[in-house]
Amino acid sequence: MKVEISRRRFLQGSVAMSVAGGVSLSSSSIMASAATPAKKVGNEDKKVATLCEMCVNKCAAIAHVRNGVVEKLDPNPLFPKSRNMLCARGNAGIKALYDPDRLKYPLIRDGEKGSGKFKRVSWDEAYAYINEKLTKILDEEKDNRSTVAFCAGEGIAEHTFKSFFTMFGSSHFLNHASLCLATTVSGYALTIGGYGQSDLENAKYVIMAGANRAEAIVTPDTMDFFKRTNGRGAKLITVDPRFTNTAAKSDKWLAINVGTDLAFVLALTYVVIKEERYNKAFVENYFNGFDAYKEHILNNNYTPEWAEKITGIKAKDIYEVARDFMAHAPQAIYYQGRRTTWSKNDFQLRRAQAIFSALGGGVDVKGGICFGKSLPLVEHDVVAPMYANAKERIEKNEAAVVGGSGSWVAFRNMVLENRSPYPIRALFNYKHNPMQNMPNNKKTEEFLKKLDLVVTIDTMPSDTVMLSDVILPECTYLERTDPVVSYGGIEPSIAQRNKAIDPMFETKPVMEIMRGLSAKLSKPLFEITKKHDEDVASAIEDDGEETVYKDFDLTKPFMHDQEELNVHAVSKYEGAAEILKEKGVFYPNMNEYFKKLGVNEYEYYPEHKRSYSVRNNKFNTPSGKIECSVPALAKKGIDAMPAWKAEYEMATPAGKFRFITGRHAQFTQSGTANNRLLLNLVPQNYAWINKRVAQKMGIKFGDKIEVSSKVGKTTIKAYPTEKIGPDTLFFVHGFGVYSKALSLAYNNGGNDAAILEDGIEPMHGSSCLHDTIVEIRKV
Amino acid sequence: MARYGMALNYKNCINCRACESACKEENGVLLLKDHYRIWVGVKEAEGQFPNISIASQTYHPSQCQHCDNAPCQQVCPTNATYYGKDGMVMVDPNKCILCTYCINACPYDARYVDQRTMTVDKCTFCSDTRLAAGETTTACQATCPTKVRVFGDLDDPNSEISVLLANKEYRQVKEHLGTKPKLFYIL
Repeated sequence: MKVEISRRRFLQGSVAMSVAGGVSLSSSSIMASAATPAKKVGNEDKKVATLCEMCVNKCAAIAHVRNGVVEKLDPNPLFPKSRNMLCARGNAGIKALYDPDRLKYPLIRDGEKGSGKFKRVSWDEAYAYINEKLTKILDEEKDNRSTVAFCAGEGIAEHTFKSFFTMFGSSHFLNHASLCLATTVSGYALTIGGYGQSDLENAKYVIMAGANRAEAIVTPDTMDFFKRTNGRGAKLITVDPRFTNTAAKSDKWLAINVGTDLAFVLALTYVVIKEERYNKAFVENYFNGFDAYKEHILNNNYTPEWAEKITGIKAKDIYEVARDFMAHAPQAIYYQGRRTTWSKNDFQLRRAQAIFSALGGGVDVKGGICFGKSLPLVEHDVVAPMYANAKERIEKNEAAVVGGSGSWVAFRNMVLENRSPYPIRALFNYKHNPMQNMPNNKKTEEFLKKLDLVVTIDTMPSDTVMLSDVILPECTYLERTDPVVSYGGIEPSIAQRNKAIDPMFETKPVMEIMRGLSAKLSKPLFEITKKHDEDVASAIEDDGEETVYKDFDLTKPFMHDQEELNVHAVSKYEGAAEILKEKGVFYPNMNEYFKKLGVNEYEYYPEHKRSYSVRNNKFNTPSGKIECSVPALAKKGIDAMPAWKAEYEMATPAGKFRFITGRHAQFTQSGTANNRLLLNLVPQNYAWINKRVAQKMGIKFGDKIEVSSKVGKTTIKAYPTEKIGPDTLFFVHGFGVYSKALSLAYNNGGNDAAILEDGIEPMHGSSCLHDTIVEIRKV
Repeated sequence: MARYGMALNYKNCINCRACESACKEENGVLLLKDHYRIWVGVKEAEGQFPNISIASQTYHPSQCQHCDNAPCQQVCPTNATYYGKDGMVMVDPNKCILCTYCINACPYDARYVDQRTMTVDKCTFCSDTRLAAGETTTACQATCPTKVRVFGDLDDPNSEISVLLANKEYRQVKEHLGTKPKLFYIL
């Protein structure tokens, strides 16, 4: 995004638009900058193979460590998924490690909730405090473990935290899925038998709708694809209400009205069915219920002319894209997308996309959506105890299918509105920031304040941390070895994050935190169970307390060191443990297969060893075929086949805007908000507003505007541009932090969680992120 | 002796600015306004919504061109700017008096005053950080997600960059000034 760059230098056609000021740096951060010097030649102590944690991708990196200081991160070429790269955020990982604002010691709240006042305590004092509160709560709630909820942000060590949750016995685990990709994962899984991996190294025609792979980087998709766009083998159709960097790389950009993608896909489907352009052999052999779907599409008259009125995309463009797509099929993909829940119809949209892709036969085939292979690990099994008094999920009936990761918004709102059948009293939070990531942050704040105990494990004093009662400081990813992970795909591999340096201050990896906490809690909590759980009481009579306690011993999953567990996990692959420790990446025959082809190019698997087609024409669906209809869902009020409904059309009143949010390549949501290097690249976020509309309103570049919705308001600088339509407003998520403890992020830019309304869709109770109407005024 | 240059598959560039951050981390560039050795030149899209000219929005990664005939070297009164080994244009921090003549002379706007070294700094192709340690890539090249950059020896006919330039069409920037730049944009 050019506006944020403050470039005085353009090689050609420079645009006269400058940004005043750079990053405002405090003296302490300049000092910190001087304390982390550039890499110097020689005296290098060691190179450690790690995995990046600046976003979800987990790119392989080499940490250069000298005299105990991480001086530079380089890409590790061995990892097939990350293809020898580190993006801007990956390079900025050191700044997260040496951020002066990091959480350094355990803290307990020492003032009103939200006052930001905490006192430093020892680890043992923190554990004791949690123990005291928790035993009281569970005693009062008669050992209903579900009165304590658990939530976690995305990350490799989430697994370790989840073991604690499982042993604890609550029904409530909540993570980012219902704020992110739950609908697309299940939409594709229920239709073609898996979310899959788009083979963008070989696809010839790709529709990317809303997915912005030039800015929201996904590995290996981003790297594979943009070497082939611009007339070099892959045609790209970008469908987006904004002209993104991805749109700038495409053959065609279709500016769609927000929330109308389903109508677009149904019209594409109409064209290929009406004109019989679909892959007939594939449909004949591998589709279940095609005739009914065909009838449904044709009878409903989902014509391009119909869709034009809804989507704003010209009918002739829809005809052209549908025909072109099928002309390139099966090397043609309607890209799945990732952070996807935009509107109420999102699950149906993903189903329609999956069916449309499959109509061309581009499933489980090179250049299509592939499922790939995985390299199984040896699981470290611990049997979870049964608690008779643990009640079921409170929000299970708030949507058709509320899965293991819950519906965050429904859960929060039920607690707030006193609709919960029993009280929710405590929350354990691992590296999750619901204050920033969940719509309507006023409600989130109220929710966090309502709880008797909020324990947050994190590296940075986020908005959520500031509303917690106990803060347990985790070390950053460069200071810990995490559970080894297997990455399935066309070119599967196993990767491991190895500790580059010892944890700084009094921080600890989550494995050690869980070990300490469970040791403190295990016996006192068992006493509560003994008191209230009749099953346990009678088991003790039969078998004796010692035997029964063994099942309830919370410390079990944390008895071993992470290194030991990792060795065990890869024990079926000879030599893997040593290779993972030294090189960070392992896959069978790596020595033979991995080749350097040129200064920038590596081969991971020879062509004939890549797992493009693995299903042997039997898909992982109930019928083993592509499912046009899912009748089981109809009973739960979810359309069995994707259909457009009048209620999906949402008018934007004159003078107002439909608000959309998203990402760019320099920040990862709120987790990177305080990173000095990234703020140096992009000092803040800007609100995109159509240039002509801005002119009419007297808004110029850099003017401060207040954006308000039904639920709240935020202030942000304006970026008038023709890259967005007159009735849409956009800004990047993750800015406008409230926590004063994040000295660079505090009050920097606009906060979307303050203005987003908290509607949910009916399938999983996922949050509809693009259903908010806002108005603006110059301030 | 080599003669280093860089070819850029600029069509691959997605303006993610990984190169810029890698350069800053590798070379200790201060995180201050206007402190950068490399950058991505962005030309904003033309047209009115929804009729935007896709081709009008372009990304051109750039940096010091290590000219064979460098105007910055010619104007330097103290010979702080000099031709180093392997054909690179280098700056001697002990000789630089911050007169900034080089900043004005450089047609590529590649130089800036570095407040740490108090030198008019610029890209060195990572010669003092990576190349001196035996690496064969620059930080910006190695880190790039879409592999825009090919760095190598222009005098070695078998080097990847030489083969690339022999087989592909390319253009250079402000060649008419006679600077003989060593950055090549592959078309």
